[in-house]
Amino acid sequence: MAIIESGGGERRSSWVQGLRDLDMILRGDRTRTSSLRAGAVEIAPGRLSRVIIGLCLIHGLFMGTFAMFSRNGPALGQVVATMVKVPLLFYLTLLVTLPSLYVLNALVGSRLTLGSVVRLLVATLGVNVAVLCSMGPIVAFFSVSTTSYPFMVLLNVVVFATAGFLAQMFLLQTLQRLNIAQTLADAQIPEPDPDTPSPIRPVSDEFLGRRVKTIFRAWLVVFGLVGAQMGWVLRPFIGNPNIPFTWFRGRESNFFEAVFQTIGNLFS
Amino acid sequence: MAPHPALFRQADAALRVGSARPGGFGPPVELSLRSRLGLIVIFGMFYGAVMGAHGGRPLQVLYSALKVPLLLSVAFLLGLPTFFVVNSLFGLRKDFSKALGALLSAQAGLTVILASLAPITAFVYVSGVSYQPAILFNALAFGAASVGAQGILRREYRDLIAENRAHRLMLRSWLVIYIFVGVQMGWVLRPFIGNPDQPIQFFREDGWTNAYVAVAEIILGALSGAR
Repeated sequence: MAIIESGGGERRSSWVQGLRDLDMILRGDRTRTSSLRAGAVEIAPGRLSRVIIGLCLIHGLFMGTFAMFSRNGPALGQVVATMVKVPLLFYLTLLVTLPSLYVLNALVGSRLTLGSVVRLLVATLGVNVAVLCSMGPIVAFFSVSTTSYPFMVLLNVVVFATAGFLAQMFLLQTLQRLNIAQTLADAQIPEPDPDTPSPIRPVSDEFLGRRVKTIFRAWLVVFGLVGAQMGWVLRPFIGNPNIPFTWFRGRESNFFEAVFQTIGNLFS
Repeated sequence: MAPHPALFRQADAALRVGSARPGGFGPPVELSLRSRLGLIVIFGMFYGAVMGAHGGRPLQVLYSALKVPLLLSVAFLLGLPTFFVVNSLFGLRKDFSKALGALLSAQAGLTVILASLAPITAFVYVSGVSYQPAILFNALAFGAASVGAQGILRREYRDLIAENRAHRLMLRSWLVIYIFVGVQMGWVLRPFIGNPDQPIQFFREDGWTNAYVAVAEIILGALSGAR
């Protein structure tokens, strides 16, 4: 994440530009129906990915404060592992779900290219990580003042779920807008755009069939499930203070069973 | 009519912000950002000082005076990034400074109301109340001040909500986050009143624990103990 590198001026402005891109995505400037007529979310995936990975590392650090302030001494290995795993979690989920999203779009008659689908998913990732990181200080505060491992696991699950939910809304609306924009471009009808568009509020659904909306929503459920299970496969992120540090735990059980068990453990 | 010092004029404004001026003429009451921050610090410290005076120990008075504004501002700051990002996502970025101003007005109003309850707190202390009821009383005072501050917040948010319904969701989310963090913050920053059997400390030694887990354990302990 070094900002100071040789040829510093160019690199530094690339980070700033990446952050500005992310800000524009959050504000909805990149996902106005009028901007989507070109058939893709206009972002530079490489530049934005660098910012995303940077934010992932920062959030990994926030999460890792629990291991840093553990009663049994700081487990710095866990902190590093968490910082590496957060971006890994997101990008692996993206890789796993990318082919199915592309095929789905092709089936509903969208003309999105593979590159467009990648850009769309990276933009969604940007939203996800932005919301996640904004809750980082809260997670860190509770990490420092809590010794209960089940509580921290649940808090982090809630935080990731909230960020994921808002990112899903973004993805859904952008998918729908891309399809609408395509329909409008074909029919050459202009669509009025508000000054400050919201990237997660639905636009009028005159031009989008109900079947398409249902298909997208069903796909989002799959996306969420894959993400959740990926989090389980890559565990531990927080690190049970009573178990010595390892990079991964054995393959057993699954995410949802584990969450139920953790809720049970909270009260024992 | 005696002229009010500027501080009290601003405190009055904090309570009436957004509504009509007393007398009914002129533009609705407004309050600058700096005034709001100043009120939070000054009136927060004042109530903290009164709170900590329970045992008649000056050091506790000082600590509590510092802790009340600290509690309010840190809980506020922790929730702010999320509030900002979620507001942006819902297309409310252009209203952000107004929304933030509304939140700060509510905070300032909270401290003014608290300060108005300070004489009652002092009176309760002077009447010789012991440690546990003192905690309870102060909790009630904070509760009452929060309810009052809610009124200010809703009044300030009325225009925003009328413009865009999403603001209502933003307000609710803010309250959930603020209360969630604030409870833990209050727990971590204890003692505010100071158990008379224990030495005066800024933090308790085992202080950095989780409020929710602690309360759950107390409840479960009481339930299982009662069986």
